[in-house]
Amino acid sequence: MLESLQNLANGFGIATAIHNLFYCLIGAIVGTLIGVLPGIGPIAGIALLIPATFGLNATSAIIMLAGIYYGAMYGGSTTSILLNVPGETASVITCIDGYQMAQKGRAGPALAIAAIGSFIAGTLGIFGLVFLAPPLAQAALAFGPPEYFSLMIFGFIVLSNVTGTSLLKALMMATIGLIIGTIGLDPVTGDTRFSFGSVSLLGGIEFVAVAIGLFGIGEVLINVHQPKELLDQRVIVPRFRDLYPSLQDLKRSIGAILRGAGIGFGIGLVPGPAPVIATYSSYMIERKISKHPEEFGKGAIEGVAGPESANNSSCQSAFIPLFVLGIPFGPVTAIMLGAFLIHGVSPGPLLISQHPELFWGVIASMYIGNFILLLLNLPFVPFFANILRIPKRILLPLIILFCMTGMYTVNNSIFDIWMMLLFGALGFLMRKWAYEGAPLLLALVLGPKLEVAFRQSLMLSHGDFGVFVNRPISMAFLLAAGVFLTIPVIRMVFKKKGGEGNREKVKG
Amino acid sequence: MLKKVVIGLVLSLFVFISTPLFAAEFPTKEVQIIIPWAAGGATDLIFRALAPYASKHLGKPVVVVNRPGGGSAVGYTEGAKAKPDGYTLTSAVTPLTILPHQVSTVYTYRDFEPILNVVSDPSMFLIRADAPWKSLKEFLDFAKNNPNMIAVGNSGAGGGVHLVALAFEKAAGVKFNHIPFSGGGPSVTALLGGHINAVSVSPPEGIEHVKAGKLRIIALFAEKRLELFPEVPTVKEQGIDFVMGMWRGLVAPKGTPPDVIKKLHDAFKLGMEDPAFQKTAKDMAINLSYLGPEAFGKLMVHDHEFYGKLIKEIKK
Repeated sequence: MLESLQNLANGFGIATAIHNLFYCLIGAIVGTLIGVLPGIGPIAGIALLIPATFGLNATSAIIMLAGIYYGAMYGGSTTSILLNVPGETASVITCIDGYQMAQKGRAGPALAIAAIGSFIAGTLGIFGLVFLAPPLAQAALAFGPPEYFSLMIFGFIVLSNVTGTSLLKALMMATIGLIIGTIGLDPVTGDTRFSFGSVSLLGGIEFVAVAIGLFGIGEVLINVHQPKELLDQRVIVPRFRDLYPSLQDLKRSIGAILRGAGIGFGIGLVPGPAPVIATYSSYMIERKISKHPEEFGKGAIEGVAGPESANNSSCQSAFIPLFVLGIPFGPVTAIMLGAFLIHGVSPGPLLISQHPELFWGVIASMYIGNFILLLLNLPFVPFFANILRIPKRILLPLIILFCMTGMYTVNNSIFDIWMMLLFGALGFLMRKWAYEGAPLLLALVLGPKLEVAFRQSLMLSHGDFGVFVNRPISMAFLLAAGVFLTIPVIRMVFKKKGGEGNREKVKG
Repeated sequence: MLKKVVIGLVLSLFVFISTPLFAAEFPTKEVQIIIPWAAGGATDLIFRALAPYASKHLGKPVVVVNRPGGGSAVGYTEGAKAKPDGYTLTSAVTPLTILPHQVSTVYTYRDFEPILNVVSDPSMFLIRADAPWKSLKEFLDFAKNNPNMIAVGNSGAGGGVHLVALAFEKAAGVKFNHIPFSGGGPSVTALLGGHINAVSVSPPEGIEHVKAGKLRIIALFAEKRLELFPEVPTVKEQGIDFVMGMWRGLVAPKGTPPDVIKKLHDAFKLGMEDPAFQKTAKDMAINLSYLGPEAFGKLMVHDHEFYGKLIKEIKK
């Protein structure tokens, strides 16, 4: 503990060297820009900037690239909140309440709380990284295929009804997501499934196309569908003093931020779609424990604060497997691994002892970077919030243009744009008949992982299903999922009818 | 006013993104290398290490993307169907000549133009340092007495190190339980966590963990011992005549213009010769083995036939 602090102090010495501060700032700025633009994610951004790090030493290079990664987590919420267009997987959930807040003229507080939450969660995540990295990496190894399968099942059951509207509709949407997830090549044997001879479908359906289609394009279409007078109307224009969150907002958010930070940090250690599970879980928990759950989906600030914090701390803990095991659990950390290799550093169990200046320097720079990002993001809040002053008949076509260019940059594929438009049409119908997009997206992400883990587990056990209940961690997740499924049934039997009370919250 | 600013911003973004379309000589934008496995495996590590050195000579960034799944079929299918303009390359590894014999893929090596070969490495089995088997003999004796009980991870069903494991069990007269993962990174992670008993890999997969004393090399399928671990004997020394390994090179989709191939070849060859890359390769325990387009093409032809026969034999 004490040694960690001393090392961290040395790390600050390295990170505050003027050139390292400069690279940290560059990383943070580029990251924010990448986060704001939909389509271009941190992966493409970092990959394009790696050549720029040739002349640098390993520490400076990693400091800059890491800055891009967590910087993108700050920027990602912007288009979700303003335009209902999720910039990347980690900000899908932010669309739900963030966009509603913006529609009520509260875009400023939503954007600001996302930045503040990201800052707090990022800082806490760094402390976790400093003190817990080696033991946590060992804990992450405890997850084999059976544990992974049960975690996915748990996530699936608990999170599919994330918005809490109708369990039946949520499960229907999740099933559609699962089916879409099977399109492409079989992940274990490589056989083609549901591609109908189309080469473009072999690689599966692009997640970003579904996300932008269902949320962004669907929202535009719903707006167009409204009576003509409404189109000429502007969104409620925020008054200046409403641009930043009130004390009341902060009070409501702080719990959500801290919980989100914890959830994100824990889930970030699991290989695979950690940011998605982390943000969904955080939203779910906030809605469950909230004193005013009826506000969720209509612009509850906790619904922005929690998930945005969760995605930031999950991005800090994602560094743990990379630093300690040398194995990246996600595509962004994989690119960071490449950056290590260029500079002749092979991350692995010996990294911390052989290259302490790099490990501690980078960690200290993350702390500084988070602070820079907060200072960088807050002044932009009024600027972004003012985008909503544009009348809808101009704003809506712009959103479509924005979505299309963003979509194209993901894979440089026209096919993806058609897919996005197709899901946009589906999103319109879903919105019209009150079906939620979130469960579909969750199933699309979890489905393929679930299938692979299931098949690997049964291969390990020679076809014995006992493998899922004989292992304690796996058993615990399955039990928890079971409890979650039975609670509503028990409630129905014992209570006559849900007496939550219809407390109408007065809006400030 | 603000309206104009926003419209201007969006339009300039649009122009910025589409500029590569109007430019002239190759390369005008970044070059992508598809890795058909998850991050952290041998091919991934090697090309991530090489990419920046090649990009130095190419003048544009070289970007590595992972397209795992189907034991490499997903990535190769995408690579074969990519536009033959030299901007989408694929890492060609031994499984390219293996998988088409195992399952009905839509591609073979004939759908690609060879650019160059980069490394050629022996395969090996790793176990955890605390595993009960102290020698190859103990490991194989246990396998003989407990058929199908040793779970051996590989980087994808029907792929390179899977075939190595299948061929080795035939040579040694034992049976393993083969578990496919989406790449060498995930399979080594599963071994570290104790979810499987051994893993079939090629350097540099797991090398850092062998250095750190977490994993051991239990079977080395090389002609001679590894420079980095001279104390580890090959299986050949121990009486099993079995040598097998993986080559890893670079290919472009069929129909890529010869002058583009030449530019790519020259840039990657110069990248390989960079002293800094050579040092990285040594640390990673990988064995650089340059082959030009023609020789690399011949190697693929040869191995395609060789593995076709081998697979028929194994399936008997």
